[in-house]
Amino acid sequence: MEQLRTQFPADDFSLLALVLLLPLVGAFVCGVFGKRLGKEGVRTMALSAVGGSFVLCLAAFAMLTSAGGAHGAGHGGGGHAVTRFTWTAWRWFTIDGGTSTVPIDVAFSVDPLSGVMMLVVTGVGFLIHLYSSEYMSKDPGYYRFFAYLNLFVFSMLVLILGDNLAVLFVGWEGVGLCSYLLIGFWFGEDRKASAGKKAFITNRIGDFGLLVAMAMLVYYAGTLRFSTLETSQSALSQMRTVWPIPGLELPSWLIPAQPIRASVPTLVALALFVGCMGKSAQLPLYVWLPDAMAGPTPVSALIHAATMVTAGIYLVARTSFLFVLSPFAMAVVAGTGALTALFAASIAFAQTDLKKVLAYSTVSQLGYMFVGVGSGAFAAGFFHVLTHAFFKGCLFLCAGSVIHAMHHVIHDEEGSQDMRNMGGLRKHMPITHATFLISCLAIAGCPMTSGFFSKDEVLFKAFSSQIAATQPGLWVAPAWYGQAIYALGVLGAVCTAFYMFRAYFLTFWGDFRGWTIVKGHVAHHGDDEHAHGEGPREGAAPHESPWQMTLPLAVLAFFALFGGLVYAEPLHLTALERFWHPVFASASTHVVERAGAHAMMWPLLGVGATVFAVGAGGAYYVYAQQGGKPAEAFVAAAPSLHRIVRDKWRVDEFYEATVLGFIDAMGDTAVAIDKWLIDGVIARLTAAVTQLFGAGLRLLQTGRVQVYAAGMVLGVAGLGWFILTPHAEAEIDSSKLRSSGDVTFTAAPGHGYSYRWAEGEAAQSGDFTAAATFSTKLERCQTKQVRLEVRNVFGGTTETSFTTCREMGNDCCTAKPAAGDATARPQTPLQAPARAPMGGTP
Amino acid sequence: MSLAPVIPALLAAAVAYVMPRKAATKHRIGLAAVTFFLLASVGWLWPDGTQAVAKPDAPTSTEWPYLLDFLIGFPIVAGLFVLFLPRQMPSLLRGVTYAVFAVSFVASLALLAVPMTPGWHFQHIVPWIESAGIRWHVATDGISVWLIVLTTFTTPIAAFASFGSIKSRHKELCAAFLMLQGAMIGAFVALDLFVFYVFWELMLVPMFLMIGIWGGAEKIKASVKFFLFTMTGSVLMLGAMLYLVWTHHELTSQWTFDYLALSRVVLPDTQKPVVMSAQFLCWFAFSLAFFIKVPMWPLHTWLPDAHVQAPTGGSVVLAAVMLKLGTYAYLRFSMGLFPFRSAILAGNLGAFAVIGGILYGALCAWKQDDIKKLVAYSSVAHLGFVMLGLFGATPSGIQGAILQMVNHGLATGALFLLVGVLYDRRHTREVSEFGGIAKVMPVYTVLFLIVTMASIGVPGTNGFVGEFMVIAGTFVSKRLNQFGAIEAIGAAFGVILAAVYMLGMVQKVFFGPLSNPKNKHLDDITPREALAVAPLVIMIFVIGFFPSIMTDRMRPAVESYQQQFVHLFSDTPETPLAARLLPRDMFPPSFLVGAPDAEAGGPSAVTEAATKTAAAPAKAAEAPKPRSDEDTNRARAARNEEIMQKFKNLPLRKAGGEP
Repeated sequence: MEQLRTQFPADDFSLLALVLLLPLVGAFVCGVFGKRLGKEGVRTMALSAVGGSFVLCLAAFAMLTSAGGAHGAGHGGGGHAVTRFTWTAWRWFTIDGGTSTVPIDVAFSVDPLSGVMMLVVTGVGFLIHLYSSEYMSKDPGYYRFFAYLNLFVFSMLVLILGDNLAVLFVGWEGVGLCSYLLIGFWFGEDRKASAGKKAFITNRIGDFGLLVAMAMLVYYAGTLRFSTLETSQSALSQMRTVWPIPGLELPSWLIPAQPIRASVPTLVALALFVGCMGKSAQLPLYVWLPDAMAGPTPVSALIHAATMVTAGIYLVARTSFLFVLSPFAMAVVAGTGALTALFAASIAFAQTDLKKVLAYSTVSQLGYMFVGVGSGAFAAGFFHVLTHAFFKGCLFLCAGSVIHAMHHVIHDEEGSQDMRNMGGLRKHMPITHATFLISCLAIAGCPMTSGFFSKDEVLFKAFSSQIAATQPGLWVAPAWYGQAIYALGVLGAVCTAFYMFRAYFLTFWGDFRGWTIVKGHVAHHGDDEHAHGEGPREGAAPHESPWQMTLPLAVLAFFALFGGLVYAEPLHLTALERFWHPVFASASTHVVERAGAHAMMWPLLGVGATVFAVGAGGAYYVYAQQGGKPAEAFVAAAPSLHRIVRDKWRVDEFYEATVLGFIDAMGDTAVAIDKWLIDGVIARLTAAVTQLFGAGLRLLQTGRVQVYAAGMVLGVAGLGWFILTPHAEAEIDSSKLRSSGDVTFTAAPGHGYSYRWAEGEAAQSGDFTAAATFSTKLERCQTKQVRLEVRNVFGGTTETSFTTCREMGNDCCTAKPAAGDATARPQTPLQAPARAPMGGTP
Repeated sequence: MSLAPVIPALLAAAVAYVMPRKAATKHRIGLAAVTFFLLASVGWLWPDGTQAVAKPDAPTSTEWPYLLDFLIGFPIVAGLFVLFLPRQMPSLLRGVTYAVFAVSFVASLALLAVPMTPGWHFQHIVPWIESAGIRWHVATDGISVWLIVLTTFTTPIAAFASFGSIKSRHKELCAAFLMLQGAMIGAFVALDLFVFYVFWELMLVPMFLMIGIWGGAEKIKASVKFFLFTMTGSVLMLGAMLYLVWTHHELTSQWTFDYLALSRVVLPDTQKPVVMSAQFLCWFAFSLAFFIKVPMWPLHTWLPDAHVQAPTGGSVVLAAVMLKLGTYAYLRFSMGLFPFRSAILAGNLGAFAVIGGILYGALCAWKQDDIKKLVAYSSVAHLGFVMLGLFGATPSGIQGAILQMVNHGLATGALFLLVGVLYDRRHTREVSEFGGIAKVMPVYTVLFLIVTMASIGVPGTNGFVGEFMVIAGTFVSKRLNQFGAIEAIGAAFGVILAAVYMLGMVQKVFFGPLSNPKNKHLDDITPREALAVAPLVIMIFVIGFFPSIMTDRMRPAVESYQQQFVHLFSDTPETPLAARLLPRDMFPPSFLVGAPDAEAGGPSAVTEAATKTAAAPAKAAEAPKPRSDEDTNRARAARNEEIMQKFKNLPLRKAGGEP
């Protein structure tokens, strides 16, 4: 241990590099060389990569616990010092925040929270790898599968170990990508490929929230590191106006009387929670998870039950210090969790597909976890993540084992997963049966199993805790809110116990309904020769799976049964809580216990036990004793209710019609605008106008000499007319007008022109002379009119007059406008000539 | 002795080994060489590497002033030379082309060897038409250097891919590619508006020919549309350019087309957003030319047509480099010459970039049946991100935008190459013609998925870093006023739509049942085609994981430029009535180095002395200098420092509402 500690100091903990590198190398080798390595090679590579990673995680965890103990002693037990081992790989990039530069490193760290999660990921991951090595053994894409699976473990570790939100986001999207690839693993079927796409896109909606949250944190907090964020909470206490947006002109009905304001932590936490809703399948973004069951069953166990889907809870727990600053965001988290828990449980009642039941129960259990973290019970909520990883992983693997057995005769996927084809399997598959029962007890909350302790703790904390406002003016949840959440949770728990035991009894009790069991039947494989559907099927008795599949079941069932003992508050076993305490210490200062709630602990425990008894007993009565007759009677009584629940409340159809329909219509509109409006105006219209001009001008270009000659004649005639008529124009030099009042007129020259000048309105007198210039002098504010007559060589005359005014800066010209249209402008007091042609042809 | 120097060799060997058995040795070695070379250059650019810091004392002689001339001139001259080679020897033609490209690429790497301090590097000024004040003025800085490298990196790949799929008129093709590269680099480095305009128009010609000669069924229509759209903007820009030059002459009675000198001219304007002032009109004329090139909504419709009709190589160059000229020129010229206008309209333009570019482009892309058209519309969306980063005008927004320019070049270039592979096999790009081809083309599918993820912006690929920097930069931007936050959210929403349209297409083409019998026997990607895509795919990951090899080098230039922009914008008074000339000390001293200056003697003397000041690192004053101008230099450096300091301390003018 000492040697390890000197080898890997806390601030340069490069052991994490090895932890991360092993699965990555495994993925690379399996993916690139997998075809040449063969199945044996791929199996060895993938298993040893994850197994090695698990061993290294154990070492890291051991160092963490021993160091944590030392710390705890040093700080007088449970101080704020969080044991954290950090390893910085390199500087990723740097961005500029609102006030400072924000460096973003590729850095990883492990603390008690991520240490536990890391063990779960690699440990459960290893078991599921082992399981898959047998489960997938007949698949031609064996190497591809293990490459993806190893890549998933790597991404999940990046998510957990990321020291800042940006690195976490790498893992966040990485697991989403692996999930996409694994759901669509059998991409030859459109349905499965679509399910993968749906998962990726729904998760992207969540990622959008995470991106926005990161941008906000960069701006307001100036850091994305979790440890720095925790200490710089004061920067986040501002209030912001959310609506209306200042400066944006809006119709009045959109402007509320009071501007809607929210604190920065509320905004950030809600944006983060959008990401969590996507990844952890909460209302309204849960729809991808049931569809994700299209992937191979081990994938459902690893990704869609034990690890990836809990990333949302991990994120909330990781940023707990931020969430507790906003009671509103916490209430949203808890409320969403409670609603999801009940809603998903209701759907699970009517499902006949074994994996679908488990999928909806996963959604429901994720809801409980959010209830936990949303109530401020971060340790309890995250403890449920842990126990859920065991019992739900086990349940999925059991389902895989059952499907594996069913698949020997029923080759189509729907049929082999349908519980109506199962029944009585406890005789044929004893180990699977036993482990399934144990996990079922755990998830249903049978006292003393792990699920009982975790769920009970979550519900108790939801009932008893309240989030205090950190600053005045913040919204605080009303007192009944916690009780309402508790009531929803209890109702959901009854449902859980009922539908899980329904699945159990349908699968393992009663008579086998899949096919007629014929002793000594030779199992025949291959899709081509198998006749589907018609007539009663025959086959050998379903058999137990090989040890590679049953061993993981046994291990997980063991933990499902006894795992609760690390954090069983009623028994005063709180090892895990104490281990995590430093992580949540700053957050839990804002969580207060309601008065007198502690006394309710034992009564509420009784409620928990009753819930289990009611749910499981009801299922026993309906499905084991009565053989499902009450359920059939219920369906007959309310067929439409049953249909809508079986169709999952038609939420997918609703989304299809609203959100997708809307975006689809937007897309069509955009294409239409592009084609007709933009291309129509910018390209076609301008082209048409140009062509129109061209066509007009082309008419003149006839190529006939006569037309051109006629044009020339017209032109010459016009020119001649211009020359024959005199034109009276003059240039006026008014540069001295302001100073001395002198103005000089210079008439334009012309062929044989002679001029006659006159001032004022007086009649013309005197002869036409050759004097082309004329000068006059104006008094202040005086307005004068100068007339010019021009005679050309042919004797034609014309005349024009000019009005000029001497402006003195007091607007006297404007005030007393001169005769005619003279509206003198300040800068140019001289008016354009008022032309009056007089003469004609001689 | 660390393992680092051996890694490229090891990986190169691994790549050569992994290739399918039937691959020719030539391709094996080629791919290994590409891998080795790329990884070696990454190692060389690595921030921990001492090379960039090791020689701060070295004189500026490392900046060979003719390097840019060479990068521009060599391909153009070679293009002309190729026209005189015999048509009957296509391998000679191709060999010459490859050799020229290889030399250019290596030469462009020399640009990266210099520490990119703020100010101009590799500046070269030669009087050209002295009566009109036109000079051959080329220089690069931390912004344009990446686009030069992008050009010399992608054009050879495009040419290589074209020689594989195009079978006719190789001689003209070689000439077109060579001249195109020279012209594009010329436009990236020109600092004289006249020179810029020449290259801006010159590069249209080879691209016009490429679409028109080797294009698809409606190639003539597409090429004419392409040419007319861009030409319209260019002509307006020319008018505005002349007005600017004339105004400068009115103010200083000196004729010059120099960008640096003209940056000092402030045309009359008012605070109103839209007003027929001289500055608005000139800004509009310049920006319109650039917006068409980008292209920004609603001037984008030439792009899908041009891409669909262009041959694969043409599309690659068009998308990877040519569109970047629009964004780059907006950053350099619109924002540089009209900072006030660019700043007060930024909020509105940002809305255009988000709604018209990112969201509208994505929606259009989603609805396309032609894969290539889809990729073309995705370009509209991606360039919306770039423009948003530029409008926001924060240091990280601009860096993200430059990064995103390069990213888009890599990812979209690779997408076009891959679509070309499919087209060569089936001669159709209709999505409905395909389905389930992942079964028959597994390697191709893997490559396509990687590039798709880069295009979507999954972290770990290059797309994410650029997008995130732009989004964060937009969020903190003060230029976008109260719209910064909304525009950032809108841009982030575009990330969802990117997944929708790309994955929808991927699913329809690659997954599902292999129903079309024509696709049953498609060959997987050949080593030759893989060789073309490989460098792009490698760079996708390199930039995704190590963006700081780029951002560290562009940061000083971007920050200096951004501060200059903010400073100049803040200086504009409420209603200036007349055009005026800004004093020199309004600018960072390194910026004006090389501007024509009548007072200080001949232009070349100024240039030489000033280049030394600018290029020398901050500690230049202590470094031993040869001659008596040591004192001058020291004084100048001190003054520079002082002005820079003053410059940084300037408060921003009333920032609008906080987002």
